[in-house]
Amino acid sequence: MSSNESNSNSKELLRMAGINKYFGKVHALEDIDFKINETENVGLVGDNGAGKSTLIKIISGYHRAEKGQIYFEGKKVRISSPKDSRALGIETVYQEQALAPDLSISRNIFMGREPATALGFLRKRVMDEESMDALKSMGLHLRSPNINISTLSGGERQGVAIARAFYFEAKLVILDEPTMALSVKEVREVFNFVNQLKRKGISVIFITHNLHQVFTISDRIVVLSHGKKLVDIKKKDTNVDELSEIIVRGTIG
Amino acid sequence: MNKLEKKNSNFLEYFFNISSLGTIGMFLVLIILLTFFTAERNFLRLDNIRNLLFFGSEFTIIVIGAGMLMIVGEFDLSVGSVLAFCSFVFVRLFAMDLNPFLVTIITLICGGVIGMINGLITTKGKILSFIATLGTMMFWRGITLLVSGGIIMPIDTSGFKFFTSSFIGEIGNFFPLQAIWLTLFAVILGLILHRHRFGNWVFSTGDNEKAARSMAINTDKVKIICFIIVGFLVAFTAVIQTLRLGAFSSRVGTGWEFKVIAAAVVGGTSLRGGRGNMLGIFIGAFIIVIIENALVIARLPYEWTYVVFGVIILFSVMLDLFIERSRKRVI
Repeated sequence: MSSNESNSNSKELLRMAGINKYFGKVHALEDIDFKINETENVGLVGDNGAGKSTLIKIISGYHRAEKGQIYFEGKKVRISSPKDSRALGIETVYQEQALAPDLSISRNIFMGREPATALGFLRKRVMDEESMDALKSMGLHLRSPNINISTLSGGERQGVAIARAFYFEAKLVILDEPTMALSVKEVREVFNFVNQLKRKGISVIFITHNLHQVFTISDRIVVLSHGKKLVDIKKKDTNVDELSEIIVRGTIG
Repeated sequence: MNKLEKKNSNFLEYFFNISSLGTIGMFLVLIILLTFFTAERNFLRLDNIRNLLFFGSEFTIIVIGAGMLMIVGEFDLSVGSVLAFCSFVFVRLFAMDLNPFLVTIITLICGGVIGMINGLITTKGKILSFIATLGTMMFWRGITLLVSGGIIMPIDTSGFKFFTSSFIGEIGNFFPLQAIWLTLFAVILGLILHRHRFGNWVFSTGDNEKAARSMAINTDKVKIICFIIVGFLVAFTAVIQTLRLGAFSSRVGTGWEFKVIAAAVVGGTSLRGGRGNMLGIFIGAFIIVIIENALVIARLPYEWTYVVFGVIILFSVMLDLFIERSRKRVI
């Protein structure tokens, strides 16, 4: 992997080169190259155990690759904790892990990054107002910033989590199966939020099992299988049938 | 939504979130029942209320810490044993003719360190706190019995009027200072829990630890600090209780571990963490104390307290489950 490649494309946001990860004897990721440009939406597809979540956990700082480099905005970076990842402007929204259901919307949006006085007391009004603004900019109109997450629908919850990423000026948002267990209507809602991110110039990695969803929302599709990259193709260069054929066969051509 | 409406709904939501109406209701019913149905109105007698205040304060100081620990999702079963051990430390150092305030500070530090050990075992050792503190519960009781020989050791505070009156003095010859200390601690912890960012970390950690961690909250540290607070408050109670009793007894605090949890649950704290509030915990603790007091003034044999508290603990756990289920239905 030459570093010239990263210089040639000024719009490149994140590039991973030759990523290898082992869990004991299991070779979870084998020489994975992955990149995403600014404002690009990449759909990451693969079966359970394909390596999708391992790959994003390396980006978000939960795992460290045994081999390989990560470049962010053209610079080589080390991501050894979720804090490092966040400092770069990468926000990961895990399903079921993103929000605290018994806490209010504003307490969730500012979880871990609460605006506070010098003594550490919460600036409640700032939290409430900013939360509502962030939700509005996602096209999400909720009654009050003080209602508990547990009273929201699945789609609204994803909206809150995405609004949080947006509020903290993420450059890259990783959505881990954001449409799992959602109704058709709620999936459409989530797509709306994702499109809002794109409009605001934020790159998105969208992880899903569902090829049709990826074709609706993503610009480029990356398929992982058994820890290897199977496909990396622009949406306009392929179609659902071709891609599902490839996935079923497990090899290209 | 105009400003006024917003304020109103905020206030209502705040009230419903913060105060467990059930807990307050239970408290009031209990007071009314006891007022009218105890023999010779014993419950309302001044000396009984005073008893309630100083004994209740000692117990409640521990409960507010333990309640916060439960919100973060952990338990401390060792509070009773640590109470006994810290009492021993206090009495032992006191007998060495050190400055009593210095002795108090050392005792408090000792409690904090023991709390920290509980926290470290739980978080770094990845042992369920229920089990870890069951172990330390036995450990500290055993150590206390070993080093004290199990005897009662009197403490002579007659030469330290200022010292004793600053902890267990009485305002107007009636109102025990312990209640003031309790109020102070409860207000501080309440502010931290509901108004400070640390409180938001406590709730987040207890409610969804993975979410908290992915938001870069150091959940282990948050938990350890909560354990330290419990240890500190237990040590404080050891000091004021020992001063009130005028002696060390290795039996103090037996059975408190579950009473403390029952108090927090009666006060609306979830057994799974993430839910609870300081006012509820405070009132829940006094409900437990008043029930125990009622058993005493009803002149029931002491054995009955076990039966009654067994029922209360089961009842409060079922209540917690019921609330959890009805909330799920709402979702």
